[in-house]
Amino acid sequence: MINTLYGLDALGTPQAFLLALLIGVGFGFALERAGFSSSRRLAGVFYFTDMAVVKVMFSALITALLGLSYLVGFGWIQFDQIFLMPTLYGAQIVGGLLFGVGFVMGAWCPGTAAVGVAAGRIDALVFLLGVVGGSILFNESFALVLPLYTIGDFGTQMAYTTVGMSRNGFILMFTLVAVAAFWLSEWAEKVRTGRAPYRGSPFLKTYSFALVALAGGLFVLSPDTTEAAAKSAAAVTPVDEKALMASVEQGLDHIEPEDIADRLMAGESDLVLVDVRPAAEFNAFHIRGAVNVPLAQLAQTLQPHKNQGLIVLYSNGMTHPAQARDSLQRQGFGNVYLLTDGLVGFRDRCLKPVSLRPEPLATVDAARVNAWRAFFDASAVSAKSDVATAPVHAAMPRAVETHQLASMIGAPGLKIIDLRPQPEYNTAHIPGSISLNVESFRGNIGGTPSVLLPPPMLAAQFSLLGLQSSDSIVIVSGEKLYDTTLAGMAFERMGHMNYAVMNGGYAQWVQEGRPTDTTLPVVTNSKYPMQKNADNFTVDFQAVVAQLGKPGVVIIDVRPTDYYTGKKSDEARAGHIPGAISRPFTEDLVIGSNKAVSFKSTAVLTEAYSRIIPSKDSMVIVHCRTGHQASQTYFVLKRLLGYTNVRWYDAGWTEWAARPELPIVSETQDIKSKQ
Amino acid sequence: MPTETDNPHGGPKPYANPYLVGVLLGLVLLASFAILGAGLGASGGISRFAAALSMSVAPSHTLSSEYFGKWGENPLHYYLVFMFVGTFVGGLFSALLANRARIQVERGAASSVGRRLGYALAGGIIVGFASRLAQGCTSGQALTGGALLLSGSLVFLVCLFASGYAAAWFVKKQWHD
Repeated sequence: MINTLYGLDALGTPQAFLLALLIGVGFGFALERAGFSSSRRLAGVFYFTDMAVVKVMFSALITALLGLSYLVGFGWIQFDQIFLMPTLYGAQIVGGLLFGVGFVMGAWCPGTAAVGVAAGRIDALVFLLGVVGGSILFNESFALVLPLYTIGDFGTQMAYTTVGMSRNGFILMFTLVAVAAFWLSEWAEKVRTGRAPYRGSPFLKTYSFALVALAGGLFVLSPDTTEAAAKSAAAVTPVDEKALMASVEQGLDHIEPEDIADRLMAGESDLVLVDVRPAAEFNAFHIRGAVNVPLAQLAQTLQPHKNQGLIVLYSNGMTHPAQARDSLQRQGFGNVYLLTDGLVGFRDRCLKPVSLRPEPLATVDAARVNAWRAFFDASAVSAKSDVATAPVHAAMPRAVETHQLASMIGAPGLKIIDLRPQPEYNTAHIPGSISLNVESFRGNIGGTPSVLLPPPMLAAQFSLLGLQSSDSIVIVSGEKLYDTTLAGMAFERMGHMNYAVMNGGYAQWVQEGRPTDTTLPVVTNSKYPMQKNADNFTVDFQAVVAQLGKPGVVIIDVRPTDYYTGKKSDEARAGHIPGAISRPFTEDLVIGSNKAVSFKSTAVLTEAYSRIIPSKDSMVIVHCRTGHQASQTYFVLKRLLGYTNVRWYDAGWTEWAARPELPIVSETQDIKSKQ
Repeated sequence: MPTETDNPHGGPKPYANPYLVGVLLGLVLLASFAILGAGLGASGGISRFAAALSMSVAPSHTLSSEYFGKWGENPLHYYLVFMFVGTFVGGLFSALLANRARIQVERGAASSVGRRLGYALAGGIIVGFASRLAQGCTSGQALTGGALLLSGSLVFLVCLFASGYAAAWFVKKQWHD
């Protein structure tokens, strides 16, 4: 199985830069071989005099498409290892129309112009200067074009889903279209120039046949791409299987669709329904209440639910989840079950309308089916109606952009929490959002002020806010983005992983002219369940002391530098924990024109932290004065960058400074002692 | 093309079979998928240079701007910047090998240098803007996204050719011989 640099979140590393450079060399070489260092040749496609652009581009596209499909079919790579750009129809249609005009005028595109400059074309150099100028123009006028991104934002959207075809069927059709384009191109060149050496040649016949045959071969290789990938994944990681497979076959670890439907409708709190299919498929269709977890992250994500309640896995069929269940079981999970017949069974047995069933149903059963359909239809009917709500159900804590939240509004189970001061909230807020002072999640525990409340008290707070454990939470702040991450810590402590913080905060929302409201939402108290053991990330001072001086352990002090050095202090003692390094939390932020605060790009953050933390699984302890600012660094490391072993010293410097037996380093003291 | 066959020093070599070059390009793209986990891109790299330029002229304005600001103080620390440099190097290598490197403004014999360069500059500005808007260019959206069968990328590809053919008649003078 191939792990790509994107999959490893390592695109920002020096190795990735070197590999990108080498791939670029191949790219430039191929473009120049094709003759794309000539603007005249490129422009020829628009006048039917030289159709090389069509021949090269579609050959490349089909080659990569078929190659990738075969790699997936053989189980050597999975789609979640590849960056799939979002579909944003508004921006992409307007962008495409503009691009075409610029392309035919300049007779270059960005990649070919690089090659053109290499071949001495001055017009290519001028074109590239224009592209630089156009990019700057875009940046300066970003606020004006922003609304385009809200039109037709479909997230990751595959063309075969859009047109309702199977993947293999679509690929075959696409290949046939490309082959037809080749033959038409040869014909056009013959008509326009009288020269078309490949027209009807044995080469073109063989080539056309080979492409179509390879496209057709996909039907044999992987009748269903996902299941095939799962099977070959199974072959790559052999499992000590016999006993496990026996229990699978006896159905001891299965849950019937009807059972799961009833449990989900009852809002059973200790049930986690996990969709293990690729994100694209999940986005197109999933069972309401399910979370999408990539196979690679399954064990880590489900850790809080290990041997607590019920974990149910599903895919389209049974192979994939069975494999995952075995793997989890080997890691000590004793509470993992499979949904019988997967999604197919669920659709067939729970969602199929009564009128379409082969045998008549008793009134009671018919009522049950109708209730299921009413409950699950909101998110499990078709790709079309589901896309808008799909991002809501993506499971992992993450940052969302304003336009993503805008497209989620109105989705079932979405709760927006606004952390700004109450007068600001009362003046205007995002429609439907609930006001909360984040300090209500903290209190004086055991003499230490401002630490996160224990689970029972958080459960009570959540209940007053009317939250359910199945809700998708989006947290919005004012200028203090770290308010959202502190609230996030409360959700993490409760094992409520389906939360997101909004990048840019309320200021960004308003700047983009998005809707606001002044009415208060209707909130009904809920009974948010207690969750005891989800918090495996908060550490106390004893745990920090135990790690002092250990090799490979990184302690990050995120307070402003003056507090780290000891120049300033609001506490019993000034300075920092021995061995701690300083990385103020503000370093991770970008402040926009009207105080909209966002995280820096993942690439920038990845690069910055790769310099201070040896590896993704290094033990990292973050702290500040009261845990507030450190919650942001925790979120950045754990949730944005994928560091797996991050700890939060909540009590922080307040506690450390107040315990005279604990060692500290103060640079001002050092100076004194040297004198 | 007379300019090329007239070269007394053996002349530039003829172009390779476009279909086979296309397959080669497809294999490079496939390698990019398998190694980087991301496809090819060009405009992404150029826009980083644009951001770096903007940073050097007006750092605080750039950092606080909505779009470039997110790339931080070092916009050039990005894999597509390196890919773009590689593209130039690969192109240079191939052009030298085929004796195709020659300083010139490529245009129709009857067209002025000024018109051709004017069109190139205007086209560049439009392409620069459009590829930021669409989050990619012919490489990053049309080719890469097309090979991944992403709906938005294929729509971009169709729109690109549609408007290109629609506008072609208006700018054809630059190629008149």
